[in-house]
Amino acid sequence: MAPQSAEARPDKTIRVLLVEDDSPTCARLRDALAGAGEFEVTTAATLKEARAALRDVRPRVLLTDLQLPDGHGMDLIRQTRLDCPDTEIMVISILGDEQSVISAIMAGATGYLLKDAFPTDIAATVRELVAGHSPISASIARFIVRRTQGAAAGAAHPALNTAKLTPREIDILWGIAKGFSYAEIAGHLGLSRQTVPGHIKSIYRKLEVNTRGEAVFEALQQGLIRL
Amino acid sequence: MSVAGAIEASVPARQWRYRLGFYLLIQVLIVLACIFVLRLSPPEPSARYQVTEAMLSENGVERPVRLPYHLPARFTSIDPQVFSLSFDRPAGAAGQTWSVLLPRFISGIEVAVNGSVILDSRMHPSANRPDRNTPEIATIGAVLLHDGPNALTIKLHAWGPLTGFLDRVFVGPDQELRPAYQSRALLFMTLPVVFSAWQAILAVLLGVMWLKRRHEPTYGVLAAAMALGLLQAFVYAPVGQTDHAGLNSMLIASAPLESACVVFFVFSFLGLKWPKYCWALFLPGLLIVAMALLGDSALVRRTYLFLGPPTVFVSLVLICAIVGRAAVTRGDGVALLLGCAVTVVLIFLVHDLLLAFDVVVEGRILVSRLSYSALLVAIGIGLIGRFATALNEIDGFAGRLVTLVRETEEKLRASLALEEERARAAALANERNRLTRDLHDGLGGQLVSIVALSERGAWEGDRIGEAARAALKDLRLVIDAMDDIDGDLMLALGAWRERTAAQLRPHGLALDWHVLMPQGMPVHPELRPWHVIQILRLLDEAVTNAVKHAGAKRIGIRIETVGDTVESQRGRITVEDDGRGFVAYDDGRRAANAPNTARGLANMHKRAARCGAQLEVTSGSGGTRIRLDLPRRFPDVELASS
Repeated sequence: MAPQSAEARPDKTIRVLLVEDDSPTCARLRDALAGAGEFEVTTAATLKEARAALRDVRPRVLLTDLQLPDGHGMDLIRQTRLDCPDTEIMVISILGDEQSVISAIMAGATGYLLKDAFPTDIAATVRELVAGHSPISASIARFIVRRTQGAAAGAAHPALNTAKLTPREIDILWGIAKGFSYAEIAGHLGLSRQTVPGHIKSIYRKLEVNTRGEAVFEALQQGLIRL
Repeated sequence: MSVAGAIEASVPARQWRYRLGFYLLIQVLIVLACIFVLRLSPPEPSARYQVTEAMLSENGVERPVRLPYHLPARFTSIDPQVFSLSFDRPAGAAGQTWSVLLPRFISGIEVAVNGSVILDSRMHPSANRPDRNTPEIATIGAVLLHDGPNALTIKLHAWGPLTGFLDRVFVGPDQELRPAYQSRALLFMTLPVVFSAWQAILAVLLGVMWLKRRHEPTYGVLAAAMALGLLQAFVYAPVGQTDHAGLNSMLIASAPLESACVVFFVFSFLGLKWPKYCWALFLPGLLIVAMALLGDSALVRRTYLFLGPPTVFVSLVLICAIVGRAAVTRGDGVALLLGCAVTVVLIFLVHDLLLAFDVVVEGRILVSRLSYSALLVAIGIGLIGRFATALNEIDGFAGRLVTLVRETEEKLRASLALEEERARAAALANERNRLTRDLHDGLGGQLVSIVALSERGAWEGDRIGEAARAALKDLRLVIDAMDDIDGDLMLALGAWRERTAAQLRPHGLALDWHVLMPQGMPVHPELRPWHVIQILRLLDEAVTNAVKHAGAKRIGIRIETVGDTVESQRGRITVEDDGRGFVAYDDGRRAANAPNTARGLANMHKRAARCGAQLEVTSGSGGTRIRLDLPRRFPDVELASS
């Protein structure tokens, strides 16, 4: 996390690369961000375009769909993690289902954005993301903590490795899964309210699969990539 | 063989009588065969070469005797008996090799031709064993012989326990005498070695068996008997040396010990109880050993003669009786075989005893040692037979077990597969019904309204969007509810809170979320996705009513566990709003002023009833409160919604 690069920019605009092949959806998301004023949005409809834009724009935030006409969003996420380590990444999802979101987290994404979210929520989420508050939903938290309990790994589920998570991080995930607010969680666990987002960020980084080979292997395992 | 008194009552009288008759008949045939064999004379050369006339010098006095000659007195002479014989060699026979053949003598001989000694049997250890019937042959050096009469001097050394004996002597061309010698050597020297080898193999086999099965002394005892017999057969002690006298005597004593061991074996082999007094059978053998260690060899030999063979005889009679009884009462084939062998040994032993006590003097060929081998053969066959039977039994048993296990396994697998298939089919059908209904209730309705709105022609963008968003929300709800949450409803409520808050935010409405206890609500292991969907939909409707119909600005959700004891604890979810409220009748199902609310309320009651939960609605001008009390246990099947 390196917020100074964003703060260092004099105009305070946040460059966002939005990768989405369905044009009405793309337009909707772009409008939601543009309406907020502080975002400078570049859109791409294919993986190829997205790669080019990544080079040219070097965005602060990448929002990408997973299913692209010429490839998979996972590849883009991975490449971004390698080429632009400071870029915050979010997946755009229709349902926010664990299958796609967890895969994206393993590739290096930090949470997801629903395609039908209200415009104000969209802008707010991206703003929070840039501020270093990685959002995590109750259902994703639930998925992760259940995996730490050794819940049967179904064939359809990503091979998530939760061994690196600390007991405190798992407690926080439990709280989120059960619908507690950050303040409530901090209260229950005797933490300061401000440290919770940092823990969540740390959780994301621990779940990321570190090498490209591993990521490809995982993706192959999940059937997300076909050779 | 007194078997009649010992017949077990369980055997039908006729059957055992037949068996007894059969057994006795066979034994009689065997006795006859033995007598026939005993009457056969062992091979000897043509009578042409035999010399029967001799002069016996005794105490300086010479007197003519005829061979075979049997020393009358039972004594051990220090001075040997000297027989002087004479034979003629024809004039034309100078080119031939001549030999002297002594087919049978007791106990030792020294042969001289024309004053030169050509043979001393005492040099051959095996020839010193009177029970071996060892023949001796010696070629006469050509220089010693001359045409016409030649002098042949035989010194007969006699030592106990048997009295001295000299059979006829044969002198003639070697090629005429040799075949008879070979035949006798085969019968009385080679054959015992063959049988001893058999005994050695049995001893090793039985020893190994006993080592592996220490709890069965049967085999150990028999192995000991065999080993004793082997020692007796192969360890030769020189005669007349006092150092070895004890050893020699002990070897002699082996026969009664051996026979006692065999009795013990037969008892345990046939599964009979070993009577205490039978230990007495071991006494004579031990007594002889004690004598050998303390007394002189002459005493030992005498003791042996009076104790040894009778002990063997008594042992054999005992074996005969118990084996015969087993063969008759049980119809045991192995016992029958053993019985026949014992009969053979017994007959031959009687013959030898008669010889030893000089009741019969003819021939003086001892056969009991040889016939003992017959018993060994029978025991060997019996053991191998029993072993094979046991193996077959084990094979059969193992085979039956394998078949049984396989059959059971197959049955089990078939029934399991059937059960699994049935359960899977039932679960699938249930799931399909539930999913169909859930989608129909939510998504179906919303999609229909999207269609209707789009067909209105007028621009209803907002409402189309709203319907589509509701449809998406419902889709997420259904997917979410399918996740396994291990009975913790809090996990489902957490995701619901997020969705609902996101839905309310654009309307400027806040969702006040209060979980009164950190653990939330009790965990329900029986909680299923369809319970979750019913409860979440119920809450959705409560929120929708508050927003759309009551115009509330604030919606509060309170989650708690009520009940004092662990048994009575239940989850409670309360939804409160600050809206207009409505007038509810007593049963809370009808509202006069808001038909939409009424329908929503009815739906909520229906959903609560399906899950066995209790719903209480109170409404007034200050707002509406909906209290949902979860059941202690969620029902396995949907309850009828009244």
